[in-house]
Amino acid sequence: MTKIPPAVIADLRALLGERVLTETGALAAYGRDATPLFRHAPDVVVQPLTTEEVAGVMRIATRHRVPVTTRGAGTNLCAATVPLSGGIVLSTTRMTALTEVSRDEMLAVCQPGVTAGALNRAAAAVGLVYVPDPGSKEASTVGGNVATCAGGLRGLKYGVTRQYVLGLEAVLPDGEVIRTGGRLVKDVAGYDLTRLLVGSEGTLAVITEITMALVPNPAAARYGVAYFESMADASEAVRDIVASGPAPATLEFMDAVCIAAVEDFAHLGLRLDAGALLLFGDDGEPDAVDRSVARMAEVCGKRATHIELAESVAAAEDLLAARRCNLPALARSGSMTILEDVTVPRPKLAEMVAFVAATADKHGVRIGTFGHAGDGNLHPTAVVDGDDQAATEAAMAAFDEIFHHAVDLGGTITGEHGVGAAKLPYLEHRLGPEQMALLRRIKGAFDPLGLLNPGKLGS
Amino acid sequence: MSEQTGPEQSSPELTSPEQTSPEQTSPGDGGPKGIFSKDLLDACISCGFCLPACPTYAMTGQEQSSPRGRITLMRLLETGDLAPDDATLAEESSLCLGCRACETVCPAGVQYGHLLEEWRDEQWSGLKRPWIVRPLLLIANRKWVLRTLGLVRRSARRRSGAADQPTLMLGCFERGLFPSVSRGIAALDPDLAVDPDQGCCGALHAHNGELEQGRDLARKLGERLPGTIVTTSGGCAAHLADVIGRERVVEASEWLLKQNLDVSERPLRVGLQDSCHLRNGLGVWKEPRELLGRTATYVELPSAGSCCGAAGTYALVRKKESKAILAKKIAEIEAADLDLVIAVNPGCLRQLQTGLRKSQSRTKAVHIVDYLRGHKA
Ligand SMILES: Cc1cc2nc3c(=O)[nH]c(=O)nc-3n(C[C@H](O)[C@H](O)[C@H](O)COP(=O)(O)OP(=O)(O)OC[C@H]3O[C@@H](n4cnc5c(N)ncnc54)[C@H](O)[C@@H]3O)c2cc1C
Ligand code: SF4
Ligand code: SF4
Repeated sequence: MTKIPPAVIADLRALLGERVLTETGALAAYGRDATPLFRHAPDVVVQPLTTEEVAGVMRIATRHRVPVTTRGAGTNLCAATVPLSGGIVLSTTRMTALTEVSRDEMLAVCQPGVTAGALNRAAAAVGLVYVPDPGSKEASTVGGNVATCAGGLRGLKYGVTRQYVLGLEAVLPDGEVIRTGGRLVKDVAGYDLTRLLVGSEGTLAVITEITMALVPNPAAARYGVAYFESMADASEAVRDIVASGPAPATLEFMDAVCIAAVEDFAHLGLRLDAGALLLFGDDGEPDAVDRSVARMAEVCGKRATHIELAESVAAAEDLLAARRCNLPALARSGSMTILEDVTVPRPKLAEMVAFVAATADKHGVRIGTFGHAGDGNLHPTAVVDGDDQAATEAAMAAFDEIFHHAVDLGGTITGEHGVGAAKLPYLEHRLGPEQMALLRRIKGAFDPLGLLNPGKLGS
Repeated sequence: MSEQTGPEQSSPELTSPEQTSPEQTSPGDGGPKGIFSKDLLDACISCGFCLPACPTYAMTGQEQSSPRGRITLMRLLETGDLAPDDATLAEESSLCLGCRACETVCPAGVQYGHLLEEWRDEQWSGLKRPWIVRPLLLIANRKWVLRTLGLVRRSARRRSGAADQPTLMLGCFERGLFPSVSRGIAALDPDLAVDPDQGCCGALHAHNGELEQGRDLARKLGERLPGTIVTTSGGCAAHLADVIGRERVVEASEWLLKQNLDVSERPLRVGLQDSCHLRNGLGVWKEPRELLGRTATYVELPSAGSCCGAAGTYALVRKKESKAILAKKIAEIEAADLDLVIAVNPGCLRQLQTGLRKSQSRTKAVHIVDYLRGHKA
């Protein structure tokens, strides 16, 4: 492949000085993200500090027709930030200004490179919460959360990032700056471009400022865990819980493979004889939380083999930690982990989990499944020896079937991590050819030269 | 329009494992070079959880100066996809503080400290080692130099302890720089045995590209000093524990707490600077706080747990960065209006003393042993 013209580097240097990286090793480090199997180094990495600088970078890119891949912390799990066509990686990690946290308006305004954890701490300081709660929050950026529409352990009750973005500032490929939405909760003037940009994975514009709604910190939170003989029993319990009252904040599950891996790693005293477990919990006013948790325990009780309520905050933290350490716990048993992210309608959850297990067996791949039972979002995670080409291919073949089956059950190929390059081949199966064509026309309207994150959405 | 762009040309070229060699890097044979232990390198899942813990990543915001980025570099070095003389490899192996803060947050349990040692073993061999650390390694390697240092600077005198009593380890640079520390701990615990003829533990070597020698020195020291070894330096403690076993190594504050050291209280405001290796390597951080809390008003500095920039030879090799990190610490200490800031490691102590002196602060930096000696009831 040809490298980008030297004039591009010269122009970028004139704009950003030292914040332009071209050393081979540095570029190689930006050649991958948290997704195994995908790798391609950019020609240059830039670190702008302001919207004006981002606009300057985009003008240079447009003038020279060079692709640009925006990158936050690179924690996405779908190769969304691998610059498949080389060109410029625009890193937002130094755009970390937290401009405003308003208790009165219950919102925050920040640059995209602020980490979700930092925003959450700033919100907590005034008694508020940044709702999207991805497992990666200490590392991932708010810009990345918005661009992938991240979700988390509280999705059932509180939804995902989409529900909280009030307004965005973004730079189009030609360097023009747009502002969508704003600070208003009620504002319906025009197409909802804010929502279009949420989840656009860096393919329509570079997000340079985010106005994010915050919610009050709940007064109390309580958790419990229920063990079941099978995932089918656990899924029925999920259905009954959802049917029995208001949606709880947390309803997570793990299959037997995950329970064993987590227990082996974290020694929390999980019951190894169970076929599945449900971690349930709620937050809000103390008496309401007590009622909600008691209700869930009662519903689970009809099918569960054991139920334990976390009596102390520390025990609750242990339970949440167990759920959060699923990925690394699984990762310990092989040199490569591929974490996937499919969602099915809640009643199909058991069927989907069973399908994953059967498919893993069929292909001889070790796959553990955990996820957000409450919203039908599961994370089948394969652990393979990365040096074993055949094993890697078997895993890919298994996922191929898993994605297709999820869609056939009325589900989707990603619930929160995004499509990226890894799942682009499956997108049409989910959306159909007409919608794919519309997607490409929308992409063309924002980015006629196809410069933003080529090889991803809209390609 | 340049030929490589535009939507039609930009179809993903590398989307499968067969095609993953980045052409911008010099092509290697892709085979393992045996520089790194495979298990150690394989453990990293590139999740990025370590990013927020890393001080050098905080400084640059650049992937290659994060733990995850450095592990990517190591992988490329291992497979030959990056040439051994690559400039970023050289830069990053020395920009890393070796503070191991990344290890404490890594969910996959990656032993970054070991990887770094293996990396520097390769990267800093022979003439590629920063010239400034060469004489230090030589000095620490010569027993007679250490003995003379101990004599001239009067560190703790020889004495044999009860059979089951532990021995004091005399840090090699501590002997020259802060001999009062070993005298201090000998005074605090009269039962500690002292052997002035001991060598160096080799931590300095292990961290500076002499991994085998570093381990060898630690093993020898372990043989020379039987039973439990009490250390007054975090870096030495972590390295020694790594080679001869954690159960044989006790750090001074751990030891004194166990001995129920009787201390008096004074109206002082004191803060603490953790030693990275003590905190992140051995998990010792509560003990010094507990001791200080019994003697004075203890003030937790916001960044007490993160590196002060001394980092072994870092202050010599990376002067500019070391100073930048230190400047923030000093500002924090000034803001906390402390009488004393306590260090648990000679390198950190020296770093803090230099910074405080330059800024003409009223706060003094003192080693925890010297401090406690003045508070013995
Ligand atoms: C261990 C682990 C746990 C995780 N847990 C969760 C979870 O619970 N829920 C969840 O949803 N995700 C989770 N993730 C996935 C990931 O953390 C999220 O997708 C996160 O939102 C990505 O943020 P980032 O800053 O790393 O973005 P990156 O990975 O850098 O980028 C992701 C995408 O966003 C685009 N982008 C980034 N910044 C901008 C910007 N300023 N403007 C335009 N486009 C931009 C990029 O081009 C790319 O397409 C997890 C990941 C890991 C490794
Ligand atoms: S936290 Fe651990 S596993 Fe994750 S990227 Fe860092 S070193 Fe690798
Ligand atoms: S040892 Fe310290 S400086 Fe080096 S990568 Fe880890 S956290 Fe960063």
